[in-house]
Amino acid sequence: MTRRRFRVLPTIIWGYVIWSLVPVIIAVAYSFNDGRSRTVWQGFSLRWWIGDPNASVLHDASMRNAIFNSLILAFTTVVIVIPIGISLAVGAHRLRGRSAKAVQGLTSVPLITPEIVVGAALLLTFTRLFTGIPLGFPAQLLGNVTFSISAVVVIVRARLVSIGSGFEEAARDLGATRFQALRYVLMPMLWPSVMASLVVVFATVIDDFVITSFLSSGVDSETVPLRIYSSVKGGATPALNALATLLVLTSFTVLICGLFGLSLWRKRHGDNGGLRAALADVTQADA
Amino acid sequence: MKQSPKIWPALAAPGATWLLALFGIPFYAVACVAFGTIDPIFRDAVPQWNPLAWDFGQAREVLASVLSGPLQGVFLRTIVYVLAAIITSFAIGFPVAYFLARHAGKRKLLLLTLVIVPFWVNYLMRMLAWVNLLSPSGLFSRFMGVFGIHYNWLDGSPITVVLGLVYGYVPFLILPMYATLERLDWRLVEAARDLGATSRQAFRLVTIPMAQAGMAAAAILIALPMFGDYYTNDLLSRSPRTEMLGNQIDFYVNNSQQPQRGAVLVLMLSALLLVALSWYLRSTSRYAKERTK
Amino acid sequence: MLRRDFLRNLVITTGGLVVAPSLLSACGTSATSSGELVIGTPTNPTKLPANGEAIADGLAEEKGTLEILNWADYTNPEVIADFEKLFGVTIKTSIYDTEESAIAKLRNGTFKPDLIIGLTDTALARLSAAKLLQPINKSYIPHFTNLIGGLQSPYYDLDSQYTVAHVIYANGIAYRTDRIDSSVFTSGNGYDAMWDSAYKGKLAVLDSYRDTISLAMFQAGKNDVNTSDADVLSAAQENLIRLRNATNPKVDILSYQELPAGNRDIAFTWSGDILTALGYLPEGTPAESLGFWYPEQTITANDFLCIPKDSKAPVLAHKFIDYLLDTDVALKNQTYVGYQPALSTITVDTLLSSGAIPETLKDSLVTPEKYDSGQRLVSLSPDADALWLDAWAAFTAG
Repeated sequence: MTRRRFRVLPTIIWGYVIWSLVPVIIAVAYSFNDGRSRTVWQGFSLRWWIGDPNASVLHDASMRNAIFNSLILAFTTVVIVIPIGISLAVGAHRLRGRSAKAVQGLTSVPLITPEIVVGAALLLTFTRLFTGIPLGFPAQLLGNVTFSISAVVVIVRARLVSIGSGFEEAARDLGATRFQALRYVLMPMLWPSVMASLVVVFATVIDDFVITSFLSSGVDSETVPLRIYSSVKGGATPALNALATLLVLTSFTVLICGLFGLSLWRKRHGDNGGLRAALADVTQADA
Repeated sequence: MKQSPKIWPALAAPGATWLLALFGIPFYAVACVAFGTIDPIFRDAVPQWNPLAWDFGQAREVLASVLSGPLQGVFLRTIVYVLAAIITSFAIGFPVAYFLARHAGKRKLLLLTLVIVPFWVNYLMRMLAWVNLLSPSGLFSRFMGVFGIHYNWLDGSPITVVLGLVYGYVPFLILPMYATLERLDWRLVEAARDLGATSRQAFRLVTIPMAQAGMAAAAILIALPMFGDYYTNDLLSRSPRTEMLGNQIDFYVNNSQQPQRGAVLVLMLSALLLVALSWYLRSTSRYAKERTK
Repeated sequence: MLRRDFLRNLVITTGGLVVAPSLLSACGTSATSSGELVIGTPTNPTKLPANGEAIADGLAEEKGTLEILNWADYTNPEVIADFEKLFGVTIKTSIYDTEESAIAKLRNGTFKPDLIIGLTDTALARLSAAKLLQPINKSYIPHFTNLIGGLQSPYYDLDSQYTVAHVIYANGIAYRTDRIDSSVFTSGNGYDAMWDSAYKGKLAVLDSYRDTISLAMFQAGKNDVNTSDADVLSAAQENLIRLRNATNPKVDILSYQELPAGNRDIAFTWSGDILTALGYLPEGTPAESLGFWYPEQTITANDFLCIPKDSKAPVLAHKFIDYLLDTDVALKNQTYVGYQPALSTITVDTLLSSGAIPETLKDSLVTPEKYDSGQRLVSLSPDADALWLDAWAAFTAG
């Protein structure tokens, strides 16, 4: 009985991996297509990456603009959301009573809200209530930070739970103030979650579509996902595949750097588990 | 009673204020737009900030449209698509997660990495990949043509949209499912086998009930974004035949001069999700209570 | 103890709920209703109400960027590049896909362009009421006299105060001659072809509610495309739903690419689109495989260029308008965009003699006689518009 299951399951999982990854690999491959088609192979060429003087990713100003906007949005969001998120997670972790429950609820709701609801709500708010905030980069930044705070809180809180309060209590027993215990004992131990948050938020924001799209203001605030979306509907060249590939490469680079940073940190601080534990750290937010 | 030290609320304050200002208040703004009035010239929404003066006329109209008018089709269709997508995602994702948790052995890390990779590939790129493959001159269509199946996949086909949703969201099902299955106490399954159950019985009577809460959580986790999805449909089909609730919201809020209708639909979507969520919370807490009996 | 806390909390909360809204509304803006809509029609032309002063004469053009709001693929990139070189500026283009979304985004501040290309009469009344446009200073536009005489002072904007005509076109049915025979349109009611389930899945209509609902009206023999009659509209709605059930149409403005690519066989579209489509034919497909049926009863129209009130580069915008009205530039633009420029110097004969137009597409060109005999779409009153939009919503909601 079990032997049969053994043969069926591996087929399913390898089949899944192939079904899941092959289309993307094909799309990447076609970015090197010689002709204009995204579906018919016409030979190998770097035309859409750097060759074509008008339409390649390197030379098309609007594509470069999209990449630039994506990177700036992602970086700025990360820089703003991580301090706010860590502060919120640490503070909320130690709250008691009704305020704890309220904060807990407030941070959990964004995780389960579909992006379209958040996007529509923010658009209506920025155009009718907080009209001082222009649409485009400012609105997109605020929207992405709002949506990412909860992810940071989840990651940091998991780490806080596993750290426990023992270390801080020991520090207080030795005479440290609450603040000193926080700064010199707890914060250094939170480094893995800072790195994990950085990776997760960066990837989330750089891939974000709905909120960024709802709050955009035309071509100036177009990010790569927005560009892909509007181009797929109208005639797009393989340069689009190239642009999308670049986006994926950026996310992967950040992920790999983060993973290595995490495993290095763990090794240096005596945690074993290596890459698998780092992977677990980073996927915390999704599980 | 010792007062809780001031440092903790102080730390939590910036984040909590941010969420209140940019998450709580926008929800309120949606309600104010939904229950406000309409400018007579532009038919544009005029928000009503005072809840005592809210006007539910437009909301009632949209609700009537949903229950028995043109929007009924969209609502029902969205529910059907999401259910179909969830069931298919489970059919694909559960075996994958199960294998990873139980039988992967040496290759576990490699497979886990390969399964996680789609997470980090932009959703739109994954859809773009399929748009290319499914177009009439694309590899998939040509492949199907070899078997004599000539079908225009991008032509407003519900199958394409549902499968697109599955492709997009199944990775978000596999990870939580894997996390749940990994943490299960497999000794109970072994005990059942020792007591004479076949592996199929053990699976049905022990594994599944233990994993139930996790399965419900994973289902909700992918159902919620699917209900609000509009871009999958937009990319894979541009036909009224597969119009989903998210498309209507996107249309009314972004591309029309009647954002009030969009606001009402957003509230309805949120209400629907609240119902789903509270059902989930109640069933998991009931389940947890039963387990601890 | 508990009750006191409870009551105290209750008072605070309700007090907050009463006070907060007035604070909130102080933050927000109230939408200003700007009076009635001023709608011009061919029988009742109108001068639009004043909206401030035009820019002074003789100003130097701005440096930097000119931001244009335009349809996709609606201006020749070479024409844009030439302008950029001529004036040493950069041009950025934001795209809109329907008039309604353009108006919505202009009003809520999503789009803040310096120049808008391609809007039509149906949008103008609302743009004017929302005070979104600035008066045009014709001293910057010497080529204005190139425009067709009748369009120099159109009924919707007498004296061309806020708009400058751009291209002319008509609605009709584009099709693949290698899949559909032209006799389909000439035997009986040509419009019936759009309801023929033989074309199921290979058919498209425009994502433009005025145009497509008018299609349903023409098919039923009704010609008043500006009607506010609820019965006519509900009949048109039923008719469109019949079309949807019979042919499963795509609803977008991409037929100019999809038809030549072979993904569609037949599409209700604007006449300029089929000429644009010539440029999207894959290798090996001859130009004659595209055809166009010009109905006897149809809509003819023109679109225009206009400058938003808070344009950051109004002088450049004026110069760009003047640039587009130059005959050579307009011809160069036409080879890419397909639509006929509204210039008296570019006639149907000019275009035919260029040799770029195949025999099968000669019908798509709008002669002055055809132009005058077509129905014109004008702006609707808000109530009539609501009826049209409801009919459209019922059609698109599937």
